[in-house]
Amino acid sequence: MTYLLNRLFSIVLTLWLISVITFAVTSILPGDVAMMILGTQSNPTALAGLREQLGLNDSLVAQYGRWIGGMVVGDFGHSLVFKEPIADLMAQKMKASALIVVMSMAIALVCAVPLGVWAAVHRKKWQDTVSSSAALLGISLPDFFWGIVLILLFARTLGWFPSSGFVDPSVDFIGAARHAFLPALALGLGLMAHLTRVTRSTMTGILNQEFIRVARAKGLSEGSVVWSYGLRNAVGPIMTVAGLQIGYLFGSIIVVETLFNYTGMGWITYQALLNRDVPLIQTSVFFIAAVVMLTNFVVDLLYLLVDPRIRMQ
Amino acid sequence: MKRFLTPQGVIGFTLIVLIVGIGIFAPLVIPADMATKMKMTMRLKPPSIGYPFGTDQLGRDIFFRVLLGAHTSLGIAGAAVAISVLIGLPLGIISGYARGAVDNVLMRIVDTLLSFPALLLALTISAMLGPSIPNTIIAIGIAFTPFLARIIRGEALRVSAMPYVEAARAAGTNDAAMIWRHILPNVLPLVIVQATISLAFAILAEAGLSFLGLGTQPPNSSWGLMIQASRDYLDVAPWTALAPGAAVALTVLALNMFGDVLRDVLDPRAS
Repeated sequence: MTYLLNRLFSIVLTLWLISVITFAVTSILPGDVAMMILGTQSNPTALAGLREQLGLNDSLVAQYGRWIGGMVVGDFGHSLVFKEPIADLMAQKMKASALIVVMSMAIALVCAVPLGVWAAVHRKKWQDTVSSSAALLGISLPDFFWGIVLILLFARTLGWFPSSGFVDPSVDFIGAARHAFLPALALGLGLMAHLTRVTRSTMTGILNQEFIRVARAKGLSEGSVVWSYGLRNAVGPIMTVAGLQIGYLFGSIIVVETLFNYTGMGWITYQALLNRDVPLIQTSVFFIAAVVMLTNFVVDLLYLLVDPRIRMQ
Repeated sequence: MKRFLTPQGVIGFTLIVLIVGIGIFAPLVIPADMATKMKMTMRLKPPSIGYPFGTDQLGRDIFFRVLLGAHTSLGIAGAAVAISVLIGLPLGIISGYARGAVDNVLMRIVDTLLSFPALLLALTISAMLGPSIPNTIIAIGIAFTPFLARIIRGEALRVSAMPYVEAARAAGTNDAAMIWRHILPNVLPLVIVQATISLAFAILAEAGLSFLGLGTQPPNSSWGLMIQASRDYLDVAPWTALAPGAAVALTVLALNMFGDVLRDVLDPRAS
């Protein structure tokens, strides 16, 4: 209970720090927001009017207070580009991105765990070389390059999946999954390569331990030694790394969603950055960082569930 | 030294020397107009003997553009990693060596910064500063700093607890000398390994930023920018994307291969 309370306090503190950093990066850095929006050739009266409208004449502390005060009561302000309440935009776009992030994580785990285990079991044989080389190649290619290759192959040449767009899963689930598949795969391939490497090194360490030798000596089949004795002990570390990669995924969605014209968090953040829509930049950057932090917190809690040894401490 | 001589290490190192060599010497040897000369009659031609990687939408030779793009891509990545080491190294060492309140405050901030995806942080900084090569370097450098600081802090913490540090303290070594003579040299191997791996990520980040138009700006050329330019011609001329994409992949692959071997040799505990 004390642990949970401590963690809860820590979450609130971190959320506050995230808001301060987000605000600092978007406000203290040089550059006049009003001029960025209207252009350098704009007339001074219009500039002054916009500065007044955006509250840029107030002190930074007052601006921050207004922003955070609004967020606390659920008022995130209006987007300058989309002319819509930011709260509504965030709700829609988070849903779209959650779909591809979850799908890519599923694709990555389903492929990476067997591949990594396979490499660890056949350490230093051809199977290991094949799996490890594929993984090394996988982490070396940028996500958007995967994206381009997937578009050329599955959308343009084979025509199996659409190359761009987003469909709301609550309207048309099949359509949504078809549109989400290629972006999710583009994100998932790099992640898969990374997780394969982690699974391989974790499993290699575990398979060298005493209790595995004992299990083999007891006459258990190799399959049950590897999968139920070995893998069970690797779940925690693999899960932790997968959880940390959520942050990496939320960085990559900016590029991948833009490439696939998939209108999620990454896409809208990019639109906000391109158009200097500062209120939208602040809120979407804050939301992405908050989601990454909270996911890592949930992963920590899950670790408690899968590994009783940590619960004891 | 012998442990470097694995196939992976040799291939990785050779590729790195080759690519860095191209990055440094290509602009000196190849006349700049080889990459900028436009020939409208030669637009989007597939690879041939005259044009080994084909031509782009303005009829420019992609082979020379890829060779000359190495300079920008590697230069930005190298400078960005240098910045992140310059900030992250002192932060990490001070945090791990001082411990206590200093460590708590610094690491709380670093952990919070780690909640921001590095690419998002780099994109935001670059967009706010206005995209240009120096700003791309600053953006990627700052975005990579928290990660490096975190890792260096862990190592500094471990080194600070070593018996030889205790002994040096008992002998009356002051803090500055302790950090300079005992902590820093023992943290450096890890820094070298992490810098190599960060370099791979920085190349990917520069490509990502330029791909989104928030990194290198024309008329400068980098691999990411070439991939971006190729987007509209993917159907008719896929080689315009594949050539710079392969250049990025090969460079990152070489750095990762060499980084893996470097880690096995310099930081045996991690492998």
